[in-house]
Amino acid sequence: MNVLIVEDEKSLAIEIDAFLKNQGFLCEMAFTGTEASEKIAVNLYDFVLLDLGLPDYNGLDLLKEARDIESEAAFIIITARGSVEDKVKGLNLGADDYLAKPFALIELQSRINAVARRKFAISTPVIHIGDFTIESSSRRVVFAGAEVELTRKEYDLLQYLILNKNKVLTRQQLYEHIWGNILDDQYDSNFIDVHIKNIRKKLNLHSPTPWLETVRGIGYRVTIDP
Amino acid sequence: MIKLRTKLTLFNLFSKLAFAAVFIAVMPYIIERINSSQTDKELLRKQEQVVSMINEIGIEQFIDSESENTFGSYNILKDEFISLERIDLEENIDFIEVTQRLIEGETISFRVLSYSFDFNGQTYLLEIGKSLESIMHTRKNIFRLTWGLLALVILITLFADLYYTYRVLHPLDLIIKKLKGTSSPEVFNKLPVKTSTFDFNQLDQTLIDLMNRIDVLFRKERDATVNISHDLLTPVSVLRSKLENILLQENLDNDISAKIEESLRTLHRLKTLVNSHLLIARIENRQYLKNESFSVGELIREIIDELSPIATEAGISLIYDPKTDFQITQANRSLIFSMFYNVVNNAVRNTRSGGKVTIISNFIQNRFSISVVDSGIGISEEQLKRIFSRFNSKSNMDEDHVGIGLAITKTIADFHNITITVESKINFGSTFSFLFPGTS
Repeated sequence: MNVLIVEDEKSLAIEIDAFLKNQGFLCEMAFTGTEASEKIAVNLYDFVLLDLGLPDYNGLDLLKEARDIESEAAFIIITARGSVEDKVKGLNLGADDYLAKPFALIELQSRINAVARRKFAISTPVIHIGDFTIESSSRRVVFAGAEVELTRKEYDLLQYLILNKNKVLTRQQLYEHIWGNILDDQYDSNFIDVHIKNIRKKLNLHSPTPWLETVRGIGYRVTIDP
Repeated sequence: MIKLRTKLTLFNLFSKLAFAAVFIAVMPYIIERINSSQTDKELLRKQEQVVSMINEIGIEQFIDSESENTFGSYNILKDEFISLERIDLEENIDFIEVTQRLIEGETISFRVLSYSFDFNGQTYLLEIGKSLESIMHTRKNIFRLTWGLLALVILITLFADLYYTYRVLHPLDLIIKKLKGTSSPEVFNKLPVKTSTFDFNQLDQTLIDLMNRIDVLFRKERDATVNISHDLLTPVSVLRSKLENILLQENLDNDISAKIEESLRTLHRLKTLVNSHLLIARIENRQYLKNESFSVGELIREIIDELSPIATEAGISLIYDPKTDFQITQANRSLIFSMFYNVVNNAVRNTRSGGKVTIISNFIQNRFSISVVDSGIGISEEQLKRIFSRFNSKSNMDEDHVGIGLAITKTIADFHNITITVESKINFGSTFSFLFPGTS
């Protein structure tokens, strides 16, 4: 997939670029609004990551322009000005998602994937892991034909780990994904540990889960051999 | 403390009464003076009439020169008399005095004018009297009339004063009411109070100007917070992405990974601090909408669902005891969620294994209330004073927490006009109570 990163903070753009390339995306960068405007007019992108705080351009105008030339690109707004009005305005102008800085790179990736699935009608895959089957469309974990009952939060955690398989996720990354920014101050590393413990307990009743690893000092990882 | 209106009315009443008392004390003397001078004038007038009459028709009409020495006449009610007597005198008599006279066996007090004059070589004494009783009678009437009038005047002016002070002080009441209903400068009603009183107008205008200035200052401060926050979040974002990219590298030494994770955690704290201040500034700037209507009971149940795995793990029972439910209107659900979540989470964190956290909903004086009661470690009085402060003691802070949650809770509560109170006893636990605004 083609991604255009519109971000005036060069070092951030470079990090996003490196990360996404690593994940198999094709990326280009634009550090100014003018540059971005030209690129959007000429090239076809699947995704535009748009920083609203550009020095020469109102980011939302760029979004309008793209819609005027009937660009098919999906827009994900990334901004430090995470105010409610900005968000509403952006989404009203047809942005597909909205991320407040500072965000986790894997969160960015999972948002891109979610938008892609929605936008390009990619069917959600059924994932086999160990002796379990994860049915994303119905949000169920199945063992030998029977559902393993997980709470909503437990399911979200497990799914997030599986979607980011073979990567170590820190507790903050997991917490942020599940609880969002508004409860930031209430973050407790214990929260994630308790939920993982409960997930393991429920799954282990059916079959061992060596694929759900604790990485000491860092976080958790789901390992699936390719 | 006494109300200004009461003070003014009381002063008016007392000054009237004092004036009336002085008037009543002095009145008899004044009336006496007026009365006697009036009576004396009348007597003198009568004297002139009699003398001119004698000069016209002669003394013989009254005193037959040979047979009698005196002439007397009085009316049938005996309250006036005139007497004429032939006497020998060395000095002239001309005075008025009060004496007693015997008339037909009755002793009556008279004010008597005595006057001597010569007529045809003979000296005569003329006496004209007016009975004191008749004088007293008029005096009493005047007295009664004055008393009645005085009482009536005091009563009428008292009511007039009451009404007038009420009318004239009404703008002041309105200004006070306006001030009382002002929890922060931006909700101050900037419409001037209608008044024709210069002083009240000045007071009101000064207050409005002051509030405007404070409002601008507050806004500037909050805008500064918002701007600084934005400026901080960009470098934090750069650092975060860099560290995350490093962490994703394969074959990374585990010690280095752990150090990077630690740095990410510190960065997370920095982000949390900035975002928390930003959140507070945004709420205070009223950038959040209050347009949702939802059941508070349901929201509490959601919080319990979220926190019960943690509570269970820590050996704490987390109980919801709903006596009633409440449908809140014009509120922001995610903010209210955060407001309660912070307090319940704090309660769970500060309670030891085997302890209890109970959430009770109730109606207190027609107002919906939620109380979060824990059997935890309690909060010292010293801490209690600063519990909602943004820059709280370090005690709430640790590796994960920046200790600003309760400041956020308070800001959200203020935004929704919810009153929070905290009671706590060391080693016995704490109670946080949320009192919602009345439904009227």
